[in-house]
Amino acid sequence: MSYLDSSKEKEYVLSVLARNNPGVLLRIAGLFSRRCYNILSIVAAQTENTQFSRILIVVSGDDRIVRQVDKQLSKLEDIEEVNVLDREKAVVREHLLMKVERNLQNSEKLVEIANVFHANILNVEPDSMILELTGDAGTIDSFLELYNPYRVLKILRTGTMAMMK
Amino acid sequence: MQLTGAQIVMECLLEQGVDTVFGYPGGSVLNIYDALYEYRDRINHIRTAHEQGAAHAADGYARSSGKTGVCIATSGPCATNLVTGIATAYMGSVPMVAITGNVSCGLLGLDSFQEVDITGITMPITKHNFLVKNVENLADTLRRAFRIANSGRKGPVLVDIPKDVTAKKYEYAKHEPLPLTEPKFPYPERFEQALEMIANSSRPFIYTGGGVISSDAGPELKAFADRIDAPVSSSLMCQGGFDQADSRYIGMLGMHGTKTSALAIQNCDLLIAVGTRFSDRVLCNANLFAKHCPIIQIDIDSAEFNKNIDVDLKLKGDAKRILARLNELLPQSSRPEWMDMAADWKKSYPLVQEAPSPGAVTPQEVLKTLNRLTGSDAIIVTEVGQHQMWAAQYYEFRRPRQFISSGGLGTMGFGLGAALGAQVANPDRRVINVAGDGSFHMNCNELSTLAQYNIPVIELIFNNTVLGMVRQWQKLFYDNRFSQTDLDHNTDFEMLARAFGVKAFHIAESDEIEPVLKQALALREPVLIDCRIDRDMNVLPMVPAGGSVEDPILEM
Repeated sequence: MSYLDSSKEKEYVLSVLARNNPGVLLRIAGLFSRRCYNILSIVAAQTENTQFSRILIVVSGDDRIVRQVDKQLSKLEDIEEVNVLDREKAVVREHLLMKVERNLQNSEKLVEIANVFHANILNVEPDSMILELTGDAGTIDSFLELYNPYRVLKILRTGTMAMMK
Repeated sequence: MQLTGAQIVMECLLEQGVDTVFGYPGGSVLNIYDALYEYRDRINHIRTAHEQGAAHAADGYARSSGKTGVCIATSGPCATNLVTGIATAYMGSVPMVAITGNVSCGLLGLDSFQEVDITGITMPITKHNFLVKNVENLADTLRRAFRIANSGRKGPVLVDIPKDVTAKKYEYAKHEPLPLTEPKFPYPERFEQALEMIANSSRPFIYTGGGVISSDAGPELKAFADRIDAPVSSSLMCQGGFDQADSRYIGMLGMHGTKTSALAIQNCDLLIAVGTRFSDRVLCNANLFAKHCPIIQIDIDSAEFNKNIDVDLKLKGDAKRILARLNELLPQSSRPEWMDMAADWKKSYPLVQEAPSPGAVTPQEVLKTLNRLTGSDAIIVTEVGQHQMWAAQYYEFRRPRQFISSGGLGTMGFGLGAALGAQVANPDRRVINVAGDGSFHMNCNELSTLAQYNIPVIELIFNNTVLGMVRQWQKLFYDNRFSQTDLDHNTDFEMLARAFGVKAFHIAESDEIEPVLKQALALREPVLIDCRIDRDMNVLPMVPAGGSVEDPILEM
């Protein structure tokens, strides 16, 4: 159908408030897979009220798909509220843990890059170190790019969290 | 009052006004069946031959009565046997509550005997489902299940209850069901816009779907069509939602719709869709559907707006209430030229089926005769295939809930179970399951249920010894390569029926049609009719794959 050919694919951040019932994440993930929507990242955790979870989902698609995602999600019994966030009006953050190979030659350089980004050094071993950085996806991407010449052993990214201003 | 979980299940069914359930006993539901024994004077239980039959029976019960259908099965394979029936109800937006037993809580997750994750399995085919691990939550969960099944766009809900929960005792107090919350009404501007669009239209066309039937909007629809003076077409799911004897009715719309409906959609300047989701079987090619005119869509499920097709005005809500409001606001208008055009087309393009040889039986003649003999008043249930389309085309449906068919999921094997459910819900009406020999072969076991409970369904099989609809496609698109569609079975349907204790007849010549149908209708017991037809009868008109709904082929 014509809307699937649309070239206006972009990323949307959905903030979903769900009742903390067993299987709620499966219901959400199942809905995405059976309706062929694409999840780029998903972050879920309890809210200040332990009966609810807040789930942040980054979806790729066009306006039409995002409206469908919104309406189909809203039909799930355990879902209280769905908001498609406007990135301009939200604080958007992501968290990164990275383990990089360390030796006498590169050690100083590794720390230097970390300092430029105000990244934290969480652990140092004779042959590796673990760094931590919080920022928007762009900052994290450029941080990773600067470590490209070095031997990155492992990275963990949380996926996007966002909160309306 | 302290009751066991199983007794609480019974009390909650009674609270909801349930007096009939369909099911099959087994290990994990022993306590529930023990309670059914205790409540047998208030809850009628029909044991089908197979759990799938129970699910379809609950579905047919619900579709034909408007009440909630209830089915019960034990854990494991018995629960999975319900799955096709639940999926059918989901695609048909039918209110159903399926109750399954499961192994005791301590055995959950250990691959115990007859354990299956039925809530996981049915997640995509239910509106919602529950696994009840505490007897304290049982009553409220069941109440919620009925509420969810009946609110908004209706559908099935499954409640899975481990065996120990049905044995534990808990305090029970009766609750009257709360009234369902009405969906928010659209803003007044939306109605104003609708009035303006209708006022500006000289050729409006109403296309109706299953939502008309689930919201009981029949009278409002009739008033609306009269008010704006427009022709009406129905999807398969809305057969009988508009009286087909009414001069405004111009036949079905879609892949096997009438030429008149195709011409109406081609020539209309406003399409008003009521309680319908623009299924691909109606749209045919979505890119070629009603491109030249604006569309107003009335639906209770906002996710159906702009899903398969873009619409110009959305009116969200219960079709009955929305139409009633429009009728209050609309002035009476008159469009005689447009109505005359539709009437002329209707005269020029009647549905006709020619006999392949002199004296041969045609489904048209059988169904027209059946229609006459039953005074257009029978409940017609169908399986899926050519016979389903013929039943929709040639029987004249005059009221809602008269045509019961798996239009969404297209479940072969649906009909016999659904027919028994419909007959139980409507003991005073004639119920006829129109079947093909392929579909009959799938779930013919339910003949034994008809016989056991003396449920007087007439099983009318159009027997062409092929999978006719698939064969028709093979003729059109696969160069007559009839891969696996010749059934060539040697099953003697009459002898099979008698083995189940069901009376049987056959129709082989056209002059046998009326006497056999009369004979069958005179009996008040289950009957099978083996009606032999030519294997190359086709369903026409037909819109070939990728074609426009405006351009059906009329012969092949």
